[in-house]
Amino acid sequence: MYAAATSVALVGGEARPVRVEAHVGRQNEAFKLSGLPDTAVREAKDRVRAAVASAGIRFPNRTVTVNLAPADLPKGGTDYDLPIALGILAASREIPDLRHAVVVGELALDGEVRPGSNAFGAGVLSARENLPCVVATAAVGEAASIPGSRAYGVASLAEAVDLLRGGLENVEPARPGPPVPGPDAPDLADIKGQTVARRALEVAAAGGHHLLLHGPPGSGKTMLAHRIAGILPPLSVSESVDTAMLWAAAGRRRGLETTPPFRSPHHTASKAALVGGGSGNPVPGEASLAHRGVLFLDELAEFPRSHLDTLRQPLEEGVVSVARRGMSLDFPASFQLLAATNPCPCGFFGDRRRPCDCRPAVRGRYRARISGPLLDRFDLIVHVGRVEEHEYSGPLGEASSHVMVRVETAREAQLERGQINRHLVPGRDGLESEAARRLVAAAVGRAVLTARGADRVRRVARTIADLEGSAQVDEEHVAEAIGLRGEWRDE
Amino acid sequence: MSEHRKVGPEDEDYPVGLYDLEDPPILYVRGETTAAPAVAVVGTRRSTRYGMSLAMAFGNALSDAGWTTVSGLARGIDAAAHRGTLRGSGEAVAVLGSGVDVIYPVENADLYRSILDGRGAVMSEYPPGTRPDRWRFPARNRIIAAIASAVVVVEAGERGGALITARLAAELGRPVLVVPGDVDRPASIGCNRLIRDGAHPVLGVDDLIAELDLILGAPPHPPMGIGPQIPPTGVAIDDLPAIWGCSPADALARLARMEIAGQVRRAGDLVVPS
Repeated sequence: MYAAATSVALVGGEARPVRVEAHVGRQNEAFKLSGLPDTAVREAKDRVRAAVASAGIRFPNRTVTVNLAPADLPKGGTDYDLPIALGILAASREIPDLRHAVVVGELALDGEVRPGSNAFGAGVLSARENLPCVVATAAVGEAASIPGSRAYGVASLAEAVDLLRGGLENVEPARPGPPVPGPDAPDLADIKGQTVARRALEVAAAGGHHLLLHGPPGSGKTMLAHRIAGILPPLSVSESVDTAMLWAAAGRRRGLETTPPFRSPHHTASKAALVGGGSGNPVPGEASLAHRGVLFLDELAEFPRSHLDTLRQPLEEGVVSVARRGMSLDFPASFQLLAATNPCPCGFFGDRRRPCDCRPAVRGRYRARISGPLLDRFDLIVHVGRVEEHEYSGPLGEASSHVMVRVETAREAQLERGQINRHLVPGRDGLESEAARRLVAAAVGRAVLTARGADRVRRVARTIADLEGSAQVDEEHVAEAIGLRGEWRDE
Repeated sequence: MSEHRKVGPEDEDYPVGLYDLEDPPILYVRGETTAAPAVAVVGTRRSTRYGMSLAMAFGNALSDAGWTTVSGLARGIDAAAHRGTLRGSGEAVAVLGSGVDVIYPVENADLYRSILDGRGAVMSEYPPGTRPDRWRFPARNRIIAAIASAVVVVEAGERGGALITARLAAELGRPVLVVPGDVDRPASIGCNRLIRDGAHPVLGVDDLIAELDLILGAPPHPPMGIGPQIPPTGVAIDDLPAIWGCSPADALARLARMEIAGQVRRAGDLVVPS
């Protein structure tokens, strides 16, 4: 007796159908699982057996063979529990055949269906293949949020059995769940003083610019960086789904969150953890988990240089290619890079009070850990000084919610032009005033800016103009952009 | 490029200072000027690099402060002053000793065009086509002295047009400011003598702006944070908005202009005078 269900595998953040075939034979009791399952999938056997028993259904005491096809596609995670269980029950004629349904979900031993990581994938497949999909109730809003999908939520295996026995066509599919804001990002109001760094953060958020903060320890670089998530414009549903699919491919669950992801890998992270890969089934790394959000590298100079250089491809192309024998996967990884670093090993170079103890050669070596090509990616390089005592007792800073309003307006202007300013090729649109051009030329002439620095300044000036609601980039905007540019090497 | 026009004493846009002359001349003008107070920056044609860079910095600072600068399009100090001016946001006025359509010296042709393309004007009392005869230049200098509300002499030898301009300016009651130089340097002999004779010594870009501020009143765009506001020990960039009483955005913009003007540079999170 044979039956099949459709489930989902995520390959490079893209949903591919997996056929879950179940056969109940006549031989003695056995449970075989084939089709490149990883350990978590292998363990599905035990969970399925227990969950079926908990649902009050007899598990067939015959030879049960489950195959996941296509066999060459590596499959991982716990999302195949439910399709395996339902496939077996269909094969033993407990429920109707369900080869025309996409099923995704993890089973608890008591029969409860938990949201795995893959509800969005089920929704995407449901819409693309015009099939209904069955997912955990807790995740049904996510699957239903994909336009064109038909999603049904089940809280337990027993409920799934009832639903399928009654026929999916007799039940209304679930409604799309509302997008939810992510966990609250810390508020900018907590930061006193630091007016210049705050402004830099706002400009970076508005234009999606890569930002490097440097300054002595304890100056609040990390605090500032963590607050960018709270001033970035919320993600659209489709952007949120893109990101969630990548998370799912990494075995993590991310709901329909509108707050852009903020990822902060430690400097001991491996290359695979940073950009993706790993042995066996390649999984997305932090660069892809930060897709459409922010990748924050604290203590940038402590990251091994070879690790940092692997970030150059995603910074350039917005995608990470992972090559494996027999396949090459592209993980989307379009993120805004935020980084913080001390200016030197002792941390006090450029501080207003404390002298730096580092010899110039040591300082030079420290700075050289960040390669020139990576450094060139930062549109904004800003020094964050230590907050003086009198500032601690000063008033609270402006709240993130206020800043976000300005950032959103500036983003809208950019999206109307077709791209965010991070990707802008300066001067193409001819929206710079003559005076603005002249000021850039003067700054280059006076060696205040390098030619590369001039391009960065012009991109940032475009964002400053957008923040002000000005269609044209004017002299003032360029001047501020020059003020915001700091140098890392030649201080 | 616009054609020249004639501007006489009865015209509205006639430079006010020229009424102080006994014989206010009719001018041939190409380009546009506003009524911003003008400062003449003049000096020898045989200038040193030092003098040229100083003239350039003066022109730039005056221009950024919103004053119009006047000079004679000659090589050396004059040309440097014009170039500095064009880098700033103010206007450049060149008074020629030839017709307004005769570029002399030819090496300054690009400068001549830059003045007309940018903000500024070229003027002369001689009809278009007039050759640059030597004897016309001293007469030209009296126009420079009269148009200007003050005259700055950057470098001047023992004899030369700059000294004539300075003398005429003094006669017209215009303040004369002079850059002191090494006592044995030929290009500074004239300057040092002017100082001995009572001209005001100029001790740097900030000093010039501060002095003109006293003489002429505040410039149209007062430069911020110059001089005593940025002590030699430096000021934290983060403190600039508070010191200047403006938004961080404006403070950064001002800082950038000062950097470009060469008045300050950055060291870590400090801004120090350069």
